Amino acid sequence: MGKGEFIIKRILQLLLTFFIILTILFFLFRLALPDPTAGLVMAGLTVEEQEMVRARFGLDKGLFEQYVIYLRNFVQGELGLSFHYKAAVFPILLEKLFNTMALMIPAIAVSYIIGPLLGVLLSWKRGSKIEITGIIGGLFLRSAPVFWTGMIFIMVFGIWWGIFPTSGMRTLPYEATSNLAKIMTLDYLWHLFLPMLTIAIYYLGLPMLIMRNTMLEIMGEDFIELCQAKGLSERRIMYKHVARNALLPVVTQAAITIGLAVGGQVVVEVVFSWPGLGREMIQAVRTSDFPMAQGAFMMMAGLVLVMNTIADLLYSYLDPRVVLKGGSR
Amino acid sequence: MAYTKKRSITARLKYFKPMLIAMTEPFKVIISDPLGRIGGIVFFAILLIALFAPLLATHDPNQMNEKIEGGLIPFAPGSDWQEYQVIGKSPLNDLFITEDSILAAADNGLVYKYTAATGWQEEEIAPGINLLAAATHDGLEIVAGEDGTLYLRKNELNWHKQEIPKQVNINDIAIISSDLAYAVGNDGLFLSWNGAAWEEIDTGVNRHLRSLSFLHQNDGIVVGDRGTILHYRDGEFQPPSFQSFTDATFRDLFSVSYYKPEQAFAVGERSTIIGYDGDNWRIMPNSESRTLKGVTHVSQQEAYAVGLRGTVLGFDGTDWETVPRVTRRDFRGITFTGEQGFIYGVEPYINELAKPSGEHLFGTTHLGRDIWSQVIYGSRTALMVGILAALVVNILGVTIGLIAGYYRGVLDNLLMRIVDIMYGLPLEPFAIILVLIFQPSIWIIILAIGLLTWRTNARIIRSQVLSIVERPFVKAARVAGASDARIMLVHITPNILPLAFLELAVAMGYAITAEATLSFLGLGPPQIYSWGTILHAARLSGAWRTAWWWVIPPGLFICITVVSVFLISRALEVLTNPRLRGGRDIAPGYQKSKDLLPDEQ
Repeated sequence: MGKGEFIIKRILQLLLTFFIILTILFFLFRLALPDPTAGLVMAGLTVEEQEMVRARFGLDKGLFEQYVIYLRNFVQGELGLSFHYKAAVFPILLEKLFNTMALMIPAIAVSYIIGPLLGVLLSWKRGSKIEITGIIGGLFLRSAPVFWTGMIFIMVFGIWWGIFPTSGMRTLPYEATSNLAKIMTLDYLWHLFLPMLTIAIYYLGLPMLIMRNTMLEIMGEDFIELCQAKGLSERRIMYKHVARNALLPVVTQAAITIGLAVGGQVVVEVVFSWPGLGREMIQAVRTSDFPMAQGAFMMMAGLVLVMNTIADLLYSYLDPRVVLKGGSR
Repeated sequence: MAYTKKRSITARLKYFKPMLIAMTEPFKVIISDPLGRIGGIVFFAILLIALFAPLLATHDPNQMNEKIEGGLIPFAPGSDWQEYQVIGKSPLNDLFITEDSILAAADNGLVYKYTAATGWQEEEIAPGINLLAAATHDGLEIVAGEDGTLYLRKNELNWHKQEIPKQVNINDIAIISSDLAYAVGNDGLFLSWNGAAWEEIDTGVNRHLRSLSFLHQNDGIVVGDRGTILHYRDGEFQPPSFQSFTDATFRDLFSVSYYKPEQAFAVGERSTIIGYDGDNWRIMPNSESRTLKGVTHVSQQEAYAVGLRGTVLGFDGTDWETVPRVTRRDFRGITFTGEQGFIYGVEPYINELAKPSGEHLFGTTHLGRDIWSQVIYGSRTALMVGILAALVVNILGVTIGLIAGYYRGVLDNLLMRIVDIMYGLPLEPFAIILVLIFQPSIWIIILAIGLLTWRTNARIIRSQVLSIVERPFVKAARVAGASDARIMLVHITPNILPLAFLELAVAMGYAITAEATLSFLGLGPPQIYSWGTILHAARLSGAWRTAWWWVIPPGLFICITVVSVFLISRALEVLTNPRLRGGRDIAPGYQKSKDLLPDEQ
């Protein structure tokens, strides 16, 4: 199987999977809730507006026809009208997604820069106290529920010491003309610190231990022995030969983690009142805002799938043997 | 087939022997690994906590715990209100100050006496009876209470029970001189003491009389229920004159303070304050609304009234103003003599946000609920969800992995595509959607975890099955004519059980965290305690920002449980990867690394 063929196959697979997820979502919603606009009556929309929304969703038609309309709307980027905001869901979700990314990407970047470095240290100092401390520490950080560490950080840094804000993305009220303007400030960095720390600590353990394990595996390979025979210094062997080869699984894991983090760190957004996708979804559930919840879920699932595919493609690019094997990971 | 003889059940059972052996193997492995042993012991301890939760819990987790104590707040005019002090376990009903001692009557027949030399001393004189009144004069001490109980002593000798005409509650006493005292009680009772015997004086009313205050032996005021106010003058009772009649004049009055012939105050229900100017009683407006239980004068220009929920009102010569609260507990009265005064009480109150103590090991919530008991009961939910969800995950994962790996081909392809789809569904959002559509319940959480996380197990089991199917013994079984089901069950399953055990432990750790997370988001059922819901409640109340004892214990329990499960699964990896038993060394003095963390879900 050639490289191009592999990429095309993976992308087709991605589209098929996403299509099936959309289908599952459709039937889950339609079967459990025959009339999702019921919530609109309470929301106080006029009869015309209700009819408009019903027509937009095609609720007056048969189930299969509804399904086709649902798919067509999705392809056109029409995710419906939020009951709560009385506005189109998609632009709102895009902004929330940006906010989520503004939190997740720095956090994952921090953990995937520090984590592998610590991993190198652990494998280098194998069998020492440093390694044991690192492993046990990593284990504990990994087991602590992330919302709990977040609460404790807020309590200690935000309330007892009062050096970091306890919620939000910016000090209210603020004005920003664009998303970029919103994050190009010190105020944002100040708000970012605690939630970022919380997530970074949670994600730190995984790259650290992956790095350590892969390093130890590679250190047993023949070419390292050759390097030693050549008389290279230990530091040079470690960083130039071992670490470079051990980075591969860490890089692919980083891609998968970004995908998962968008949907997987709802709690952190809730704890820190970060105006992201996850918090929006929880609010949508509380206010029975079905189009919003559905749209947010589609966006999260789509991101997970895309990032998984990117991870696969990255892996095949970095390690061509994968393509020859032909399978997924 | 030539071999068709029916075999007995025991003969059939023997084919499961390898499976049974495979079942015990994991436990041996856990015990042989030092860290695994620690994990096993900790997990077993938490299992025991969950099993014996009702015994270990010190309180009902739903009970709003009340606290009863006899407390007082000393004050002196012109200075700040002092700290709230606890002097005993029974609420104080009356307190009388003299120059060198303080006498207090309390619930449950207790009397507290303070002298500078001894401090507060407790004495029980009338078991089971609440003492409502106390008075002292020149070595003479009288306390009285429910059901006509009245005790008297002179010069610190023994208390003597007094005979009185009516067996009703006595609410207040005033000693005028060493041979004259008055007392009021329920049903319009008014008693006079002549140094030897108690006599009833007819008041003309039959309402409960609550309080009396005398300027001298022939001039006093008595107040009681339904706005009763009586002036005692020269051995006779006279009805009062009101400036105006309003609803407030018919409210129950609980306390009176008669300072001089042209000034007196009476207080009662719904923050009623009535003032006397020598001729008329008049309603005095104020901004409070709670019942006032006590009033006292400090000077003509200064008076205080106290009541429920820590209410204190101060009189500045013309108006009553609210004094900032020292505590939110209910006061039963206030008294002032000479230079010092006391606010006393208190009613039972909700022991809210109490710090950890012997009574409440982890403190209490904002509703006075015991956090230790909640955390103990929470372990049941955590383990139940953890074990059930892990079983669902494992049964699904093993079955699907087994079928996919054994049959291969189209079926395998189909099942693995389903696994791919499952990888596209993030857990928390999916659970949120399920809760949106159905109702929050523990089963939704188990369902969400079970439906979504078998994907990893199925993949791992499948790859194991793929390699086992190629082994000679499977081929031999097939040649011998064994059915597919038999090969899968008898020949392959025992070989994947160790892996299944490992995956069970991994899934359990994951399920416990997931349950805590989903409950924290408020997706769990509100009536069941779990570590996540405790933290959810703490967050909802807003008190978590200061009440660290409410936040730390549940999270710590989650941590410890998950770490113990991690340690167990780490020990179990030896089963699935025999290289870990210390075979091929990669570097001198180095044992092949163990994957410490389970797969990222």
